[in-house]
Amino acid sequence: MHVMFHRYGQFAGGIDLPDENASTIDQPIGMVDSVATLRVPLAPCGTAGASPVVDVGTNVQCGERLAAAPGPGGVDIFAPAAGRVAALTTAVVRHGRDLLACPAIELTDIHGGCGMGAAREVRDWRTVSSNTIRQQLAEGQIATSRPRPEPLIRWVQRAVATACQDLIVNAMENQPYITADHRLLVEYGPQVMQGLAILALACEARQVFLAVDARRTRDYASLVEPAIQYSVNRVALPHKYPIGADPILIKVLTRREVPLGGRPTDIGAAVIDASTCLAAYRWVACGQRLTGRVVTVNGDGVARPGNVFVPFGTSCHDLLGETDAPCVLGGPMTGRQVDGDAVVSPACESVLAVTPTPHAPPSQCIRCGWCRDHCPVRLNVAMLNDMYELGDVAQAEHLGVTACVGCGVCSYVCPARLPLTDRVRRLAGTVRHHRRSMPLLSDMAPSPAAEADR
Amino acid sequence: MTQPASDISTTVSLGYDGHAPLFRAPEKIRTVFIVTLVAACLPLAGGILFFGYRAAWVAAIAIASCAVFERFYFRVTHTPALLGRSHAYLTGMLLALTLPPFTPWWVVVMAAAFAIIVGKAIFGGVGHFLWQPALLGRFAVAVIVPILASLGIDANLTPDQWPLLAPQHMLLGDIGDVQPMRPGEIYRGWQDHDLPEDDDGWAVPLPTQTLRPLTVATVDVEPAFSSLAAVREHIDHRKPAALTQLPPVGDMLLGARPGGIGETCAVVIVVAGLYLIYRNYVKWGLPLCFLLAAAAVAAVAPVRVDVGGERSVSWPIIAEGLDVGLAYATYQVLSGAVLLGAFFLATEMTSRPVLGGAQMLFGAGAGATAMLLKLYTTLPIPTYVAILIWNTLTPTIDMVWRPRVYGQRHVLRFRRKQH
Ligand code: SF4
Ligand code: SF4
Repeated sequence: MHVMFHRYGQFAGGIDLPDENASTIDQPIGMVDSVATLRVPLAPCGTAGASPVVDVGTNVQCGERLAAAPGPGGVDIFAPAAGRVAALTTAVVRHGRDLLACPAIELTDIHGGCGMGAAREVRDWRTVSSNTIRQQLAEGQIATSRPRPEPLIRWVQRAVATACQDLIVNAMENQPYITADHRLLVEYGPQVMQGLAILALACEARQVFLAVDARRTRDYASLVEPAIQYSVNRVALPHKYPIGADPILIKVLTRREVPLGGRPTDIGAAVIDASTCLAAYRWVACGQRLTGRVVTVNGDGVARPGNVFVPFGTSCHDLLGETDAPCVLGGPMTGRQVDGDAVVSPACESVLAVTPTPHAPPSQCIRCGWCRDHCPVRLNVAMLNDMYELGDVAQAEHLGVTACVGCGVCSYVCPARLPLTDRVRRLAGTVRHHRRSMPLLSDMAPSPAAEADR
Repeated sequence: MTQPASDISTTVSLGYDGHAPLFRAPEKIRTVFIVTLVAACLPLAGGILFFGYRAAWVAAIAIASCAVFERFYFRVTHTPALLGRSHAYLTGMLLALTLPPFTPWWVVVMAAAFAIIVGKAIFGGVGHFLWQPALLGRFAVAVIVPILASLGIDANLTPDQWPLLAPQHMLLGDIGDVQPMRPGEIYRGWQDHDLPEDDDGWAVPLPTQTLRPLTVATVDVEPAFSSLAAVREHIDHRKPAALTQLPPVGDMLLGARPGGIGETCAVVIVVAGLYLIYRNYVKWGLPLCFLLAAAAVAAVAPVRVDVGGERSVSWPIIAEGLDVGLAYATYQVLSGAVLLGAFFLATEMTSRPVLGGAQMLFGAGAGATAMLLKLYTTLPIPTYVAILIWNTLTPTIDMVWRPRVYGQRHVLRFRRKQH
C-alpha cells in the first residue's frame, strides 16, 4: 500500500483564517448560465493587446483564433464560444493585485460555449521528446493561470534555462472561499496528473511535487494511481495561511529560499497550479484550446455559489447576479476589488462578493510587532511602515522589502488598521523600478530584470 | 482585418488600491488598551485589599486626571494621535499602580500631568513616545516631591515605615490610621502579628529597606542580620530570627507587605501577566528575561557579610549554598516593583523594541539594571529608573537588531538538511 500523501513541516509566522468554503467544496463543477455577451480580453498577460484577426460582424466558431499575440510576452486569443464579433472594446482584468484595462473583443449572439466537455486523447504525448512537447506547448498559446499570467511556453523556457530541479503544483488554495483547484483535483485528478507529467517532461524537471491541503487528501483518491505512475511526490501540508504563496511553499518543500527580488526559478524551482496542468493536458493530448477556466463563485448574497467553468470574457456581474457586496477578483486576502463589469481572465481563480470587514480609518502604529511576528518572510513591517512614511526607499531595500510575498497578513493583523501590505508593495515596486532602471547600482539582485511573479 | 481604434489598443494599469486584504482581524488598538487596563485592575484590586479605600481613591484620581489632561491637550493642539482615551485610562491606571497608597491627591495630579503632557503628548502620542509615560510621571514626582518637602511643603513619598492594613481591616481600613513599629518590636507577619488596638494596621519598613543594608555600605544602619543563613532559619521556621523585619514568603507572594499600590501582589501580577501573554499583547520573552536577569543578578551580586566584626563580600549563592542563595534571590525579586515592571511597565508596546529577540535583550538588560540599582543605590524607584534607561536605548536596539529576511544571504553559512 502506497502512502497517499506525505506530510511536511511548517513555516514561522502566518495566521489561521476562517475557511468559509462549505457551500462550494462538495459541489461538482457546473456550467455557467448562458450569457448574452462576452468581452474577451486581448491582453491577459499584461502586455500590449493582441491584434485582432477577425472583422467586426463576422461569426466565429468555438476555438477560432480571434487575435494574434503581440510578441513573445503575449498569447493568441481564441473564441471562448460561438458567436458574432460585435465590437472592439475594452475590458478590465486582474493582473496580480493590479488591474488592467486592456483591449477586448465583444462577442454577442452567443450560441454554445466550448465547455469542459469530455475530451478524447488524440495525440500520444508519452513517447515524444521534450523538444516536441515544448513545440506543441508553444503552438498551444496557453496562458498560465497564476495571479500574473504569462505564456506557458515562456514559463517552461525559463525553467529549462535554469535547469529546474523541482516542479511544484501549488494546489494549497488556503484563502477563504476558493475551492476551484480542489474541485479540479477531485473531478479531473488523472487528467491533471497527466498534464503535470507533460509539463515535467517539457521542463525536464527532476522531482515533481503535488502540494495539497492536508485536510482534503481523502477526496483525492482518484489521482493517487496516476500520480504514482508519473512519479509525482504527493505532499499534504498543514493549513496555515499563506502556505500557498510560492516562495513559502518552496521553502517548506525544499528548504531553499527565493533570493531577494528573484523568482522561484532562480533556485531551480518552478511553481504552477492545477488549472494550468489541465489546460496543458487538454491541449497537448486532446487538442483543445484554452478558452475558459474553473472559477469559484461565492460570497454574501450570491444566489448560486459553486465552482463553474467560465469562458474568458464573462463579466463578474453575470456570474454573481444581483448582490450588494462589492465584487472581488481573486481571493479575499490577495484579490482585488472591482466593479461588476470586470471580466474573467486566466488570472482569476475566483469571483467573490465579499463585504470587507468594516474598520476605522488607519491610525498611527503602536509598535505591537504583530505584523512582524506573523509575516511569513519575517520582514520588519513596522519599520518598513516608518520607511514608507519617511520616503526612505534605500533603507527599505536594505531591510529586504523585495522579499514580500504580498500575502496581506500584516494588514490583516495590524490593530492600527494601517494598509501595510499596500505600503510594502509600493516600496517593493519602487525598489524594483530602481533596479530595472539602474542595473549597475543593484548589487544583490540575481536577476535584476525579474518582476517576480507575485 | 480591423485595426483597433488607438484609444483602446493599449493596456493600461489601473494601479493598486488599498483595500486588500478584505478581511481584518478583530483586534483593534482600543481592544489592546482596554484589555490591558482590565488586566491591570487585578493588581489594583490587590492593592485596594491591602491598603484600603485610599488606594482606590489614588487610582481614581490618577485615571481621571490622565483623561482630563489628554482631553485638554487634544482640545488645544488637535494632535491626531491623541484621539481615543483608552490609552490615557491605561496610563492613569499604571501610574496609580506605581504610587504609594498614601500619596496626596495633588501629587497624583502632578504625576498625571507629567505622564500625559511630558511623557506622551509632546512626543506625538501613542506610537511615538520614548519613555513609558506612567513611569515618567512617577519619576517626575519622585524627583519633585523631595524638593518640595525641603521647601516646607508637607509631602513624603519615601517614609521609613509604610502602612499595611491588618487582616480584620482589609479593604475598608484607613491607612492614615496605623500603628508604627516600636523600636525593638518584631514584625511577625501579616497573620501572626498582634492586632493593633484602635488602629487599622501597622506601619512597617519596606522589605527593600530591610534588605538594603546588606549591599549598600552608605546606609548607616547595621545589617539586620549577620549572615544570610538567618534567612534560611526564617524561612524554615516562619519565626523571626535575626532577620526580624521581613514578612514570610507567603505574605510576599500574596501581597501582604507594604509597597506601592500595585507592586505587592506577586501572584496576582503573574496571573494578569500570563493572561496578557495568552492574548499575545506581551511576548513571553520580555518578562521572562526580565525576571531571570533580575534573579541572576541578585543571586551573584556581592553582599556585605558581617562575620566576626570583619566586613567581607561574597557571592550569596556560592557562599551560602543553593537553598539560602535562592531564597535570598527570591526575596530580592519579590520585594520592590520587579514583577510589576516585568509584566506591565517594561512591556508597554511603544517603548519596548518591536522584535521578539530584541525584546529579550531589552528585558534582560532592564531586569539586570533594575536589580543592580535596587542593590547598590538608595533610589526609591530603582526598577522604574532601570526601565526608563532601557526605554532610552529602545530605538538603538530596534535599528541594530535585524534578523535575516527570507532570501537574504546568511551571515553565517549554515546549511539545513535538504529534502
Ligand atoms: S510584508 Fe509582505 S510577506 Fe510580510 S506579511 Fe506583509 S504582505 Fe505578507
Ligand atoms: S501591526 Fe500595525 S500597529 Fe502593530 S507594529 Fe505592525 S504596523 Fe505597528
